[in-house]
Parts: sequence; C-alpha cells; structure tokens
Amino acid sequence: MALKLLPLYLNEFKKRRKKTALITFAIAWGSLSILLLMSFGRGLTTQFRISFRGLGDNLVMLSGGQSSMIHQGLPKGRRLRLFAADVALLRETIPEIEFICAESYNNETVSANGKETNRNVHGVGPLFDVMRTQVPRAGGRFLNDDDERHSRRVAFLGWKVAENLFAAGEAVGKTIRINRTPFTVVGVLKEKMQDSMYQGPDAEQVYIPFATYAQVNSQPYVDRIHIQPRSREVSLLVEERTRSVLGRRYRFDPADKYALNVWNTIKDAAEVGKIFSGIEIFLTLIGALTLLIAAVGVTNLMYALAKERTREIGIKLAMGARRRHIVAQFVIETAFIFLKGTLWGVLLAFNIVSLVRTIPLNYDNFGIESYLTRPVFSFDILLVFLAIMGGLVFLAGIFPAVRASRLNPVEALRYE
Amino acid sequence: MIVCREIKKVFSMGAATLEALRGVDIEVKAGEFISIMGPSGSGKSTLMNIIGCLDTPTSGTYALDGREVAGMSFDQLAEVRNRKIGFVFQNFNLLPYATAYENIELPMLFNGKSARQRRQRVEDLLKQVGLLEWRQHRPSELSGGQQQRIAIARALANDPAIILADEPTGNLDSGSGEEIMAIFSGLWRQGRTMIMVTHDTKVAAHSQRAVNLLDGRVIS
Repeated sequence: MALKLLPLYLNEFKKRRKKTALITFAIAWGSLSILLLMSFGRGLTTQFRISFRGLGDNLVMLSGGQSSMIHQGLPKGRRLRLFAADVALLRETIPEIEFICAESYNNETVSANGKETNRNVHGVGPLFDVMRTQVPRAGGRFLNDDDERHSRRVAFLGWKVAENLFAAGEAVGKTIRINRTPFTVVGVLKEKMQDSMYQGPDAEQVYIPFATYAQVNSQPYVDRIHIQPRSREVSLLVEERTRSVLGRRYRFDPADKYALNVWNTIKDAAEVGKIFSGIEIFLTLIGALTLLIAAVGVTNLMYALAKERTREIGIKLAMGARRRHIVAQFVIETAFIFLKGTLWGVLLAFNIVSLVRTIPLNYDNFGIESYLTRPVFSFDILLVFLAIMGGLVFLAGIFPAVRASRLNPVEALRYE
Repeated sequence: MIVCREIKKVFSMGAATLEALRGVDIEVKAGEFISIMGPSGSGKSTLMNIIGCLDTPTSGTYALDGREVAGMSFDQLAEVRNRKIGFVFQNFNLLPYATAYENIELPMLFNGKSARQRRQRVEDLLKQVGLLEWRQHRPSELSGGQQQRIAIARALANDPAIILADEPTGNLDSGSGEEIMAIFSGLWRQGRTMIMVTHDTKVAAHSQRAVNLLDGRVIS
C-alpha cells in the first residue's frame, strides 16, 4: 500500500534534506565512533593473540627444576634435569599429546661474511617449527626429518641474525660457521610478532637439528621439552600427567611445583584473553553509550521536525490518509535517515581502519603501536553494530510516529 | 443526504469547557447548495468539521447517506473523507513542496486507483480548472486564485458527492473570488451537494439557502 506513496514520501524527504543533514551527520559521527572503538578493541585482542602465538600456539613447555618437597626419603633441593629419552617416554605414556619435541641451547660464536656474533644456537627436534610458529621466509625452509636423521650441518636463522651476517643479501644457501664448524643456511625466519620468550626473541636465534647439536655439544641433558596437547581442553590434564610420569621416573612428588618448571601457554592465554575480551566489551559499551546519547539528540531533532509538519499531516488526514499512511512515512523516513548516516559511518570507519592497517609494523621493537595499528573491521562487529543501530532507529522513530498517529485532523489543520 | 440531530460539541480546556454547538438540527438534501453563516464564534466551523467527518460530535446523531457517523473509527472516518467529501479551505492548505499535479493526485494515493487512472484524472481536472500548463509549479509560484483552483481540483479528485468549503473566497481578491464562485456554481449544476461556510452575504447569495448560526444554535 505504501509503494505508490513512496514518491510522495521521497519528495517530502528531499525537501527536508537540509534539515535532516544535521541528523545524518550526528548518526554518521556516532556510527564512526562506535565502529572505530569496536575495531580497535578487536585489533588489540587480535594482535595480542598473534603475538602470543609468536612463541607457540597451544604449548606446554617443560624444563627441569629443583625439588622442594621430601619424597620417598629423598631430600629437597635436588636439581632435576630432563633427558632426550623423556620425550619418547612421555609420548608413549600420555596419549593426549599431539606433538612433542626436545630443545637444547647454548651460546656460541656464529660467523659468516667476515662478521662474527654471539648467538644462542638451539638444537631442536622435528615439529619444532609447527609448535613454535617458525615460518620460513619465501625461498627457504625449516629443518626437516632428513636433516635430523642424517645429522646434517644445516641451520635456520632468525631474521635479525640473517640481517646481521648477510645485510640485505640472501642468506639461504650460504655457509655460516658455528664455533668454526660450517653449516649451510636452509631458511630464514619470517618476521612475526612475539611477546613472550625464554632465550630472547626468535628473531635473534639460530636453530640446527637436535641430532647435529648432540654431536657438536657434549651436553647430556636437554633444556626444554615442548608439548602440544591434542586440544586446549586437555592441556591441564597433560600437565598433570607429565608431572606424575616424570615424578615416578625422577622420584619427585607430582604435587611439587618446583621440581618441574611448566609453562602452560594455554593457561596464560586464557587468563590474558579474558582481560582483552573485557577491554573489547568495555570499548563496545562505551561506544554504545555514546551512540545512545547521540540517539537522544537525534530523537529530539526528529521530534522537532515532525512537529513542524503537523499541518501537512492535517492536510493529508483531511484528504483521507489513514493512520498507517502517516506512521509509515515517519518510519520510512527515520529508517532512511539512519541508513544514510550509518552508511557514511561504516564507509568512513572502513576506510580509516584500512588506512591505519597500512602503517608498517616495526618488527625490531614491538611497542604499543603494533597493537594499535591493526584494527579489525569484521563481519561480526558489523552485525553487533547494526543490532545496536536497529534499536536506536526504533527509539528515534517511535516517538514522532506515535505523536503523528494521535493527531486530531482539526487540530493538525489549525497548527501554525 | 446529511441529517444532523441535536448535535452538541463541547471542548474542554483544562477546567474550562466551551459549548461550541448546543443542539444543532440540520438537513441537507442531495444536490442542494447551502451556506452556513454566522459571526465568528457562532460554531459554524465546528459544525463544518463535524459534517466533514474531521471531528465527531460530543452528543447527537449524524447520518451521512443513511450511515451513522458517530461510532466510526479513525480510519473509517478517513475513508469517508477520502471518498465522499472534498474539502476547500480558506488558506488553500496545499502541500508546499508538492507540485500542482502532485497536490491534486494526493487524495487518490490513499485509495486503490492505478497510476494510469490517477494521471488521467489529474489531467482532466487540471483542464477543468484551466491550469494544465501550471501542473509542474509549486503553490508558492501560483497566485491565490490559482492555488484555490488547484485546491478545488484536489477536492474533486475522488469525485465526491459533497464539497465542503470553509470561507473559500476569504483570502482572495474579489475578481478571483468571483471565478471561484463561478466554478462552485458549475459544480452544483453538475449535481454535487455544496456546503459552504461564509460570513459574506454576497458569496452566500450563490447558494440556494443559508443556515444562520449564533452561539451554537441555528437561528434561521
């Protein structure tokens, strides 16, 4: 029924364009603020998750500690070490383990191109790259099973080590010397964000196969064992079982928190994730409340506009307009104004977000900017925003429409 | 056609009440041309609004075409206004942003006429009031007489049986006023029922009879 009235409504709307411009602007501004708040909030969370993954995704890391409880007649204060054989033991006894690998490291002299530098050289087992997010730059690769099986003299470099030794030149295929032993570079780590670490950022490390490391170093124990549980849900179970299996082997109390150092990134991520989700919700709430204030102003303006046209409503009523004809006009108009303002807000927000995202990240120094320059404008943010907006359209449109529908034709015609 | 019995209308403004109509009996037969006369405050506009179904009486009965108006809903009254009554106001009451064409089309938008029917009817009416070449102009670009002719064309859009005119010449110079009255006489001769509120005896002279109101009662 309203279809043939649309030209009339549109006509009136065009007439009022100047008067509605301010309202459109207010809505666009409000939309922009809430969208930016949500996008930057989401960006913060996302960046945090990415940089947390820089160390490893879903990781339980073990290293030896010192016993602090008397157990089976053994004194406390015993130094406990992990050994390569523990890897096989844990893999066999704990089915919830998806991946497991050992790591040892030592500070060595690394040289190439006439340059010399001291770096931590790590011997790492297969799958270390999967567990510790070691993605090679194009043209290179990480250490593989064959390297391990044949104890090859190959190395994978953190990008800062590569830049340090080879400047801007290609490192892959070149030879470096680790304590005078030549190694061939097979890959360079791609830049990544990393906010937690144990021996400095991965950018500054050198990785060689675990078997090779064992040949050149006479260290009998391993420094760390990395475990990736089958799922996040079983991470605490894996942690608990690891303590009991190793406790039986090295005779410490599984309840002894200091005998075995366990770094459970899943637990950490869940904790910090809560904080970031809180920040995100908080920012959305601020945005929504700001928008609500804007909506009160918009409602007021809409109401004033509606009052101005009381006489026109009277004319239409005299000509036989039904209540729904009048109400429909207000609803359509409010929706249209909101649509326009919202569209502007969304377009602006999208462009600002896209622009901010082009700011390059400085991988040498992760400051606050690396968390703030990657806002995320995602579909679910848009949905939340549209839901809030829908509520406000209803709020802003309902008062003028209700008033208009209650008008008495005689009084409306007399309205000056 | 129109039968009003004991029509009373009381306006209450806070504690004060105003009796605008104190029991008016009036009958208008189909095809009659009557004037409602009286000084300001006599209740003639209130009576006009009630006859025009813009307002409902506080008490009394009003039958239009044998149908009682008193119990009708808001939208039923709107339909009666839309199909049976054409309004002509003193201050024209045209939509300011709409063209002459769109103003005439307005009443037809509120019922089921097709676009083709509407266009045909608007063009016929524009010819009838002699303003076809002014169809794309807005009210502000037209003279008072022209605006009132557009308003008459609009009143005729749905071909109503009754034309209600409230001081139709009140805002016009005498020349334009004469033109408007000539159109009214023509409409009456076509068989329409004409009811006109005026305080001008010269204008009232165009009608068949006058109903005089004073203080909310019919005096003659």
